[in-house]
Amino acid sequence: MTSFKPTRRTLLKTGTAAAALATFGPGILRHASAQDADLAPYKSAQIDWQQVSGETITVAVIPASYFENLITLAPQFKALTGIDVRFEKIPPAQIRQKSVIDLTSKTGTYATHAADPMYYALYAANKWVEPLDTYLNDKALTDQAWFKLDDIIPAWRSANGIDGKLYGMPYDGEVTIQVYRKDLYDAKGLKPADTLEAYMANASALNTPNDRVWGAALRGVAGAGQNMYIYPSIFREFGGDWMKGGKLTVNGPEAGAALAWYVDIMKKYAPTAAANWNWPDIADAFSQGTVASYIDAHSSASVINNPEKSKVIGKVAYARWPKGPSGKRTTSIWNWGFPINSALPEKKRKATWLFIQWAASAETQARTAHRFAGPTKRSGVNRTSVWKDPDYIKLMSGFGDNFVEATMGALQDDTDVDWRPRVPQWPAIGDTMATAIQSALSGQATIKAALDDAQRRIEPMMRG
Amino acid sequence: MTAKRLRVFALLAISMVFLLAWAFPIIWSVLNSLKTDSDVLAYPPKLVFTPTWEAYRDVLFGSGSILPNLLSSVIISVGTTIVTMLMAVPAAYALARLRFRGKKFAGFYVLATQMLPPVGIIIPYFLVLRNIGWIDTYQGIILIYLSFSLPFAIWLLVSYFEDIPFEMEEAAYLDGASRLKTLWRIIIPQVRGGIAVTVVFVFLNAWNEFLFAVVLSGNTVRPVTVAMFNFVSVEQTLWAKLAAVSVLAMLPVVVLGVVAQKHIVKGLTVGAVKGGGRR
Repeated sequence: MTSFKPTRRTLLKTGTAAAALATFGPGILRHASAQDADLAPYKSAQIDWQQVSGETITVAVIPASYFENLITLAPQFKALTGIDVRFEKIPPAQIRQKSVIDLTSKTGTYATHAADPMYYALYAANKWVEPLDTYLNDKALTDQAWFKLDDIIPAWRSANGIDGKLYGMPYDGEVTIQVYRKDLYDAKGLKPADTLEAYMANASALNTPNDRVWGAALRGVAGAGQNMYIYPSIFREFGGDWMKGGKLTVNGPEAGAALAWYVDIMKKYAPTAAANWNWPDIADAFSQGTVASYIDAHSSASVINNPEKSKVIGKVAYARWPKGPSGKRTTSIWNWGFPINSALPEKKRKATWLFIQWAASAETQARTAHRFAGPTKRSGVNRTSVWKDPDYIKLMSGFGDNFVEATMGALQDDTDVDWRPRVPQWPAIGDTMATAIQSALSGQATIKAALDDAQRRIEPMMRG
Repeated sequence: MTAKRLRVFALLAISMVFLLAWAFPIIWSVLNSLKTDSDVLAYPPKLVFTPTWEAYRDVLFGSGSILPNLLSSVIISVGTTIVTMLMAVPAAYALARLRFRGKKFAGFYVLATQMLPPVGIIIPYFLVLRNIGWIDTYQGIILIYLSFSLPFAIWLLVSYFEDIPFEMEEAAYLDGASRLKTLWRIIIPQVRGGIAVTVVFVFLNAWNEFLFAVVLSGNTVRPVTVAMFNFVSVEQTLWAKLAAVSVLAMLPVVVLGVVAQKHIVKGLTVGAVKGGGRR
């Protein structure tokens, strides 16, 4: 077993591999790893993996190390099933656009793609993707005892479900946690915050811009997955409810209080530039020692522990989201899942399901994580059993104090399926809200005016 | 120092400020491309550092080489430019010089195609290419690029053709030259500057295009504008490599600009001899 010691070379490779493997990598790696693949753990499933041998499917993913690891293993899938998988890597900002074009036009270009949970409502309403229970309940296609659906993190499954039906199988995901500099906290005798109020107080105590250390940073850049990634958690923690009597309401008193907290902390204790930051920018600033704490995806741990860039390795610790005034902690339950494109002919749909079952299985999750031979290890595996594996825990503990505990605690106890409004109109609503939040942050509008304006714009969307 | 000299110095100083402001992103990219990732993030920004070619080595010869993407971009841009010019020169000549029914409408129609926002036509384009099996092919992308480069090139060229005096053409006819021969021997040499300007713009538009490329390309054909985005992942932004790719992507454009400079200057000042016009 390799211990977690990322080197300069390995981390450099992580990023570039993204672009590269699409073109050259698969050919080389496919050849190499298919030979030593041990397929026995898969063959113990009581299904005929070879039932649609000879099919070819295209899978769209984003350039990210966790998908690179999967692509590297694709030759094993080919050896197991006889199905050829062609991966196409699309930048994260464009994958939604491109897959929606494919789904709308029913061309069936992508058998499956890395899908955002917030899109399933839209996909399901238009019947663009298949409900997965059909496949899960088909004994010829799925050995439930082997696949163990219940082992997949419940929060991510519920995020990918509409009306109790699963539409996308979680492959890799994240939760939001507090990340903080234990050396700075210790020096001032501070503890990680348990409430949003305490978080603000900590930020205030640590904020020393003259020494180039700011108290906190949250995502500021406008966008459905940017400032609207962090705001919904705060909104829910303040007791906000997206749907009131079947009507989407974004300008209630809880919303006002939540937005006021966000604007307050960003204006007082975050670097001015954070108003335009997305999470890689926050993680970069934290890794340079200029931010004392931030709340964001647990997966950013790999960036702040990158020996190539980070100056804070060994000084990092983690904690769960602070509680809001409602007493709740609300983490994000965001994940990349795989749906099945309804426009495919039956044989290809089966092939796609076999691919999804293989990718989401405990065996493949382990092979792409702590048992992966390559340089990068995944921090977003989809299975509770893997999160309990001592080897995996050992690997993840390398990211800093309390990492596994905070992540698992958040995954198990801090999740909230209605974290964001799960309606087909989400993409447009998310963008409208994002603009409102930004205008409040930049001081172009008061908090009330910004939210009222958002409500006015969102109402017709919900009717249409 | 005289007042005149002072004025010259002041003007020079102002131009230098503008030049620096204009060149700042380019200088910044070049500097970052020669840094290590930790130097890129350093504060205060490092102006003195040990330059390294590592980013270039990685993006060119590493496992994520962008050479195939640069090649894709070259094929697409050169292909688009050649096909566009072959069609736009005769079309612009016809619009500027010939008399035919529906000429006004034709001119307007060419321009009208430019009025549609690209986002609005991307799905129909996708469907058409998909149905003829041309998604992720050079011919598919070049065909779509023609839809915006042709009208642009035609309208740019028409004005150059209109500036050529009729007398030159008439003299050629009197000497017994055919229309095609006149176009080739007399007219085209006159509008060389205009053609150079058009070639540069058409090439640039194709080289920088992103929206259509990201939707219509795939693994086989992936221009550098799309591949560049892979350095901005959901996990991190690889600044040094991103800067290196940006510099590499700028190079062909700079080379083209330098080569065509003489013609461009001529093209921009053309029209000194007036007396032409539309028939």
